[in-house]
Amino acid sequence: MKMNSCEHLEKVIDYRLHRLTDEQEKEFELHLETCAFCQHELAIEQAIEEELSVKLDPGFIESKVMTRWRLRREQGIRSFWLYAYRVIVLGITAAVLAFILFPFLLRLPIKSFLEINQLASGLERLLGGLPQINPVFVGVGFAYALLIASSIFTIVRTRR
Amino acid sequence: MTSLITIHKGLIFTIILRMTNDYHLSEDLTQDTFIRAFMNMKKVKSGEHFRPWLCTIARNIVRDHYRRNRNSPSVSFEQVEEFQGQSDDPIRRRVVIQDALARLTERDRMLLTLTYYEGLSLREIAETMKMTEANAKVCLHRARKRLRKQLAGYENELL
Ligand SMILES: [Zn+2]
Repeated sequence: MKMNSCEHLEKVIDYRLHRLTDEQEKEFELHLETCAFCQHELAIEQAIEEELSVKLDPGFIESKVMTRWRLRREQGIRSFWLYAYRVIVLGITAAVLAFILFPFLLRLPIKSFLEINQLASGLERLLGGLPQINPVFVGVGFAYALLIASSIFTIVRTRR
Repeated sequence: MTSLITIHKGLIFTIILRMTNDYHLSEDLTQDTFIRAFMNMKKVKSGEHFRPWLCTIARNIVRDHYRRNRNSPSVSFEQVEEFQGQSDDPIRRRVVIQDALARLTERDRMLLTLTYYEGLSLREIAETMKMTEANAKVCLHRARKRLRKQLAGYENELL
């Protein structure tokens, strides 16, 4: 503001924002009547305010929003079932692999393990034979558990 | 849901256009704002918090857009030059002020837009800006001064 020569010029914004006390306000209004610089500044501030108050309109967007929103929701439901499907497939694969891998890692004969009458004793050895369990078996088991847990977590998160 | 769009689209579009300076982009981002709002409808606490909440979403939508696209809102000085010689045209004034706004910080721009959008209370403005009401007043005062500074030399275009 180079061309100013009024010390009250700064007060114009305060005046417009109602930051002056009643007394100051009256005083300033009196000054305003006689000061061309402050009148000019006030006009500028009012023009700025007027422009900032302009309400802009995007036109008719309602139907576009509703269509896009419905589509998004459908996609959400679809992706939920996709995740559910993935977890089920993952779970079955994990279970199948576990049943083949566990006896192998425990050095059990697979043939006898898969025979129904031997399954009970196989499981008994699996649970009871703690000294036979090796770190690899524990690690693989743990990895499977993590995998399934993370899948379930993904499902819960996408649902929200 | 449709009536919510009708009631609030003007406010949201105005905020976004002031932030982006791009008409077509603002139309898209206004739609995005409502879609994001509808997807998160359960998170609104109550009726009086709805507008600040919606404004915050609009602000985040704009931020996300520029985070994704790297480039910040354009300052179109060339555009101003094109309009020269038509100072009685209200469009000219709009462009000058919009350009000055674009050179302010995102926070100043948001605050000024919310303040002069008729019908928003100081409480709603403060809530959107995540400030106290007293702080919002102080920040608004500074924002007004900075905007005036940016318009120095363009005074005659405004009147
Ligand atoms: Zn004066």
